[in-house]
Amino acid sequence: MLKRSAAMAAKDLRLSISGGQGLVQAVLLGLLLIFLFSLSKPLGGVITPQAAGAIFWLASAFGLVLVFNDLFAIEEANGARVGILSSPAPVHAVWVGKGLAGLCLLLVSQLVFLPATAAFLGQNVYGPWWLLLATLIGADIGLVVIGALLGALSQGQAARESLLSVIVFPLLLPVLLAGITLFAMCFSPEPMGEPDSWLGLILAFDALFAGAGLFLFPFVYSGEE
Amino acid sequence: MVPSGGEALLSVRRAAKFYGGKLVFKDVSCEVRPGEILLVAGPNGAGKSTLMRMMAGLSRPSAGEVILRAEPERTAYLGHATFIYPGMTALANLGFWGTMYGLSPSRDELVTLLTRVGLERAAEEKAGSFSRGMAQRLNLARVYMVRPTLLFLDEPGTGLDPRSLALLRREITGFRDHGTGVVWISHHVDKDTALADTVLALGGRRVEYFGPAREYAPEAEAC
Repeated sequence: MLKRSAAMAAKDLRLSISGGQGLVQAVLLGLLLIFLFSLSKPLGGVITPQAAGAIFWLASAFGLVLVFNDLFAIEEANGARVGILSSPAPVHAVWVGKGLAGLCLLLVSQLVFLPATAAFLGQNVYGPWWLLLATLIGADIGLVVIGALLGALSQGQAARESLLSVIVFPLLLPVLLAGITLFAMCFSPEPMGEPDSWLGLILAFDALFAGAGLFLFPFVYSGEE
Repeated sequence: MVPSGGEALLSVRRAAKFYGGKLVFKDVSCEVRPGEILLVAGPNGAGKSTLMRMMAGLSRPSAGEVILRAEPERTAYLGHATFIYPGMTALANLGFWGTMYGLSPSRDELVTLLTRVGLERAAEEKAGSFSRGMAQRLNLARVYMVRPTLLFLDEPGTGLDPRSLALLRREITGFRDHGTGVVWISHHVDKDTALADTVLALGGRRVEYFGPAREYAPEAEAC
């Protein structure tokens, strides 16, 4: 299964990057959001670390929707989803492959958002870098687990952008809240409490929705009632 | 030529399909044996594609059962959708589908397959630039790669010019002659009945005819 997942991820990355849609759109929208929020900063004032964390994760969440819309649209062009379903490849290979591709694209867009957050929102990383990295990867896994599951749900729907946004954002609240708080700890020069419980929340979220995805994805992707 | 016969590759027993509360068809029973072409006929909306999706394991029957005895690795589906990724080359497309079928074809093997369908010169071209006929030939190369024992054809001739259509018919009978069981939904029932061994005609939410192709007299219907 891993070989098929890797082939799926490699194909998606190649098409998404060469197509210049999902990733480019996600980066541009995220940068625009960060820049627009930077305009709310009063002259000579500062944006709090909590607000900066919220803006970063808001940009990431919007990017997630664009990335997964694009990844699942790849199979819609010539009915390739039926080809995959009729092949002996396990459907979970699609979920893992799309998730891996989505994780790579989300991380690439965040590599742009992070310096933009520092530049436009006047933030520095005071906290430990390991915490920043652990938060980024842990929360991103939660985001892509949900994105890969619900991206499949919205495929073929005319209103997929709105459908995906409406369903995804409420589900993402716990992991976004943890990401925002942990990023605030990293951006703040003052100690803001212990990160353990928030990291635990991210781990629990990842585990819960990975389990749900494993169970639900075959039904969602095949469209079978 | 491999004679038809042997254990059925596919058995459908009293299958029914509902969408919500709406009946699509009921009491459908048939079998497909190696080296046999089953032509599925019927007017638009009779449930031909729904039945094929059920036979191919893409959808569950609401009642009855579908028994697939062919190995999943040797079962192929060729529809009017070409399954190609326009942003990838013909070689990359074929390589990807090879991996999905658990195969690891070398570049030379892929080129040989493309040569067989007359696409060797377009091997490195992006499939998005292909005509409908070329795209369907690339799709056919995918089927050759699988060397299917059971082949599902869902109106694969849609949009093809007469020359490509003739080539496709020749390939379909070629598969049958090599022992592949074929389930075929065709737009051209009048012509294609002559190539089939058995016909299953759907209409009025039930089976109107199931029997030898030579005894089937299609009504004037738009399939």
